[in-house]
Amino acid sequence: MNENKKATLFIQCLVDTIYPEVGEAMVQIFRKLDVNLSCPTNQTCCGQPAFNSGYRKEARKAARHFIQVFENAEMIVCPSGSCVTMVRHHYPELFTNEPHWLQRANSAAARTYEFTEYLVDVLGFEDVGAKYHAKLTYHDSCHLLRGIGVKEQPRRLLSHVQGAEFIEMNNSDQCCGFGGAFSVKYADISTAMVTEKVKNIIESGADTVVGCDMGCLMNIQGMLSRMGSKIKVKHIAQILSST
Amino acid sequence: MATSKHAEFIGRIKKALGHPKEDDQRMAEFFNLPISENDRTILEHIKNRTPEEKQKLFEVLIEAAKPINLNVIALPDVSSVTSAIVDLVEQKEPEWGSKKSVVAWNHPLIERLNLEEALSQQDVPVYVAELKNEEEQSSSSSDERKRLRQQIIDSYIGITSADFCMADAATLVMRTRPGQARSVSLVPLIHIAVIRYDQIIADLKELYALLKWDPENHKEGLTNCMTFISGPSKTADIEANMVHGAHGPREVYVYVISDKD
Amino acid sequence: MTEITTENYLSEAKRAIKNQVLQNALADLQHRFGTETALAYQNLPEGPELRFKAHDIRMHTIDNLDVILDKLAENVRKNGGHVFFANNGKDAIEYSLRIARKHNVKRVVKGKSMVTEEIGLNSAFIESGLDVSETDLGEYIIQLAGEHPSHIIAPAIHKTRNDVGKLFSEKMGIPYITDPAKLTQAARKALREKFLAADMGTSGCNLACAETGHITTVSNEGNIRMATTMPKVYIAFMGMERVAARLEDHDVLIRLLCRGASAQNMATYVSYIGGPRYPGQADGPEEFHLVILDNGRSRILADEDFREMLCCIRCAACLNVCPVYGKIGGHSYGFTYSGPVGAVVTPLLVGINKAKHLCLGETLCGACKDQCPVDIDIPRMLLALRSKLAEGDSVWGVTPADRKEKSMYRAWSWMISHRGVYDLFLKMAAFGQKFLPQKEGMIRWLPPPMNGWTQSRDMKPIASESFLQRWRKGS
Repeated sequence: MNENKKATLFIQCLVDTIYPEVGEAMVQIFRKLDVNLSCPTNQTCCGQPAFNSGYRKEARKAARHFIQVFENAEMIVCPSGSCVTMVRHHYPELFTNEPHWLQRANSAAARTYEFTEYLVDVLGFEDVGAKYHAKLTYHDSCHLLRGIGVKEQPRRLLSHVQGAEFIEMNNSDQCCGFGGAFSVKYADISTAMVTEKVKNIIESGADTVVGCDMGCLMNIQGMLSRMGSKIKVKHIAQILSST
Repeated sequence: MATSKHAEFIGRIKKALGHPKEDDQRMAEFFNLPISENDRTILEHIKNRTPEEKQKLFEVLIEAAKPINLNVIALPDVSSVTSAIVDLVEQKEPEWGSKKSVVAWNHPLIERLNLEEALSQQDVPVYVAELKNEEEQSSSSSDERKRLRQQIIDSYIGITSADFCMADAATLVMRTRPGQARSVSLVPLIHIAVIRYDQIIADLKELYALLKWDPENHKEGLTNCMTFISGPSKTADIEANMVHGAHGPREVYVYVISDKD
Repeated sequence: MTEITTENYLSEAKRAIKNQVLQNALADLQHRFGTETALAYQNLPEGPELRFKAHDIRMHTIDNLDVILDKLAENVRKNGGHVFFANNGKDAIEYSLRIARKHNVKRVVKGKSMVTEEIGLNSAFIESGLDVSETDLGEYIIQLAGEHPSHIIAPAIHKTRNDVGKLFSEKMGIPYITDPAKLTQAARKALREKFLAADMGTSGCNLACAETGHITTVSNEGNIRMATTMPKVYIAFMGMERVAARLEDHDVLIRLLCRGASAQNMATYVSYIGGPRYPGQADGPEEFHLVILDNGRSRILADEDFREMLCCIRCAACLNVCPVYGKIGGHSYGFTYSGPVGAVVTPLLVGINKAKHLCLGETLCGACKDQCPVDIDIPRMLLALRSKLAEGDSVWGVTPADRKEKSMYRAWSWMISHRGVYDLFLKMAAFGQKFLPQKEGMIRWLPPPMNGWTQSRDMKPIASESFLQRWRKGS
């Protein structure tokens, strides 16, 4: 096991601005596991919104800022598979024509981990001593699953939560229809997609839906709230920090 | 007229690719290569297949045939195939009209079935899909071909052999030759293929290795039309309901003769 | 050219979402094929990794397409076939009409072909006085209804048995029936007459093989065999990329094609056609023509960003898993190709600005890439298309799609490089949101351009203190 556990927090902008409690839950878990934490307070956004909309110049600007901010971090840990996909896969693409920056981008990519990936694959924890009484179901976020191949880690972590019953929903790996700007620009399609996702969540019989990405969860929560549903929406850190 | 755009077309592709290498050099990467170690192994394997392996292949074929509603039936000898066909002809009714007739390939294995004699009791004619008059064979719209075409259209059962049967997907492989018209396995309501046990091969890899490197098979090549048939014709175009007999045969029977003669 | 209605993506999508019959059909289709195809890849003797090998085979072929097409043409001609290289749809149509006139053709039977849809062959033939019948059952239904296919493999999935019953009764003068087996039988009868009376057959080409000089056609119904066997003239149309160099490449690709298209180990019929009838043979066409079509493909080939798209073998596996296609169906894409493949190919063929909604109207979820039998990175190319729309592109003649958005992102990128400014912005936003209607701590309504979100969803307000503000205080 890692004797000298270290993590530099890379806080997804949605967590920073709308869901700070998710970041705090993550901090709580890391403190419990004796992970040395640091958190650059001048970080902002990885640039994915611009990149996904095609604005590469602007995304590059955001990437440069990120790379500089996290230049000295050994282990960069983020509670979002989507942001990690951006750093790990798309940063190097952005700098193919700038060798100096490409090197720095590759370095940042190699040091960046998603939260559950870091817990299970790097630290070797599957049981973090959490207790949470609920029927849980899990939504696979697209970029987490297909972008960086994280599927089992969150499930293993959840399987060790005392008091929790885990139920797989149908098509847990189907996109919830968030897609960033897509959810606003193509609202009809996005709505149809999240409607199906929410239907699968409800039909699973779970009272809490868990995910590893606040983008998807915000979308799912938004619809459940509009429907007046009692189903709770939680980031996995919020489950794992409960005792 | 037919080739006027050829050079221009290929030239545009060349430009798009912006290739640094010579054409000949690239051609040599793809074509006329010597036999690979892999293909050599495949050929060896086909040649030296043990009786147990052959039995295994047959079992694979039987399993693959089930989900696609292909009837694969092992029979001990030629005469039992003949009786099976006689029974089928008796049981099955034609699709268009009421007159029963059968069309068959001109093929040594089919010839041995003596179908004409066997079906004469039921008064069912057996047409042979062969152009008889040498002279007429080259003419493009001969009366002979018209007659044969009509006989195939009129027949409700078509009887063929096959070159191979690939076990993994239960696929009959047929090449086109004089006397072995393609429409016999296509136009009639029911298709019967009669093959020998040792015509079963494992898969497409084996078939391609044979076609490419086995001298006899290579010489004939794929012919101008090689057809794979895996089960009866089917469609699922109306509400995804599976229906057999969209345009081709509604039923397909493969009789596998297991005798060693 | 087929009518292009890519601009109507939003309104057509909205219409499709409201069509409950279509929604059920799409859900059923995806449920069956999506799962079964993934399983079929798992069950390959080489395992699902064969997809990666197939990708390399396709890419290597496309990278050497000039010499491989030369070889194909040489061998088809050696087998007695004719090869015509068509720069565009007009050339292809003119050539085939010339063949039709030469043989005094009156009736044509067509096997399903996306490429002839792309160039609008049907309407051109009909305008020239030819009697043209689609013969794939789904395509036949579509033709009778005067519509366009909504799925590459299942063209008529948007029609119910009742629709088909009504259509057949109206157009074929038969009593109204709704049993799929009986409807199929009615079509079998009608089309058999067409096959036997036709002077010319046409089809697409699933995959040619250069070293042998054959094209391969794949079908389950047998209509393509009919169209290529019974009439006296046969013309096959292929997009120039649809070729394998050798049989061993063909082996990998044809097996993956059957699995990708319909989760089959092998389609019911696969035909390798390499020439006209030879003397002594009882059937087969007197003439075999192969039309190889560019129609914008060499332009795709020339762009390193999009060349990979030419690896596509049009199996429609991506349609069967795409969550967007699963909601909006094929017609929303406004051109021959729908789903993820359409979202990349169509803009490249008809114009990126014209088809901008196809580039932007996806979530980049990546399901298509994982299901693609040749592992094409469609999300990567959607991103590349988006960057052209954002910045403009002289090679593809793209003008920036949204200048207002562009300046917005420029300002945003400056702001997020300065945390202080960002904090100030958050403060203002947190203040501003107090004026928005809320219920139980959730925002119920957002002003344009964010109102798309709140048409169906609530949103949690921005926190009064961001995580990083709290962290600064706490540590």
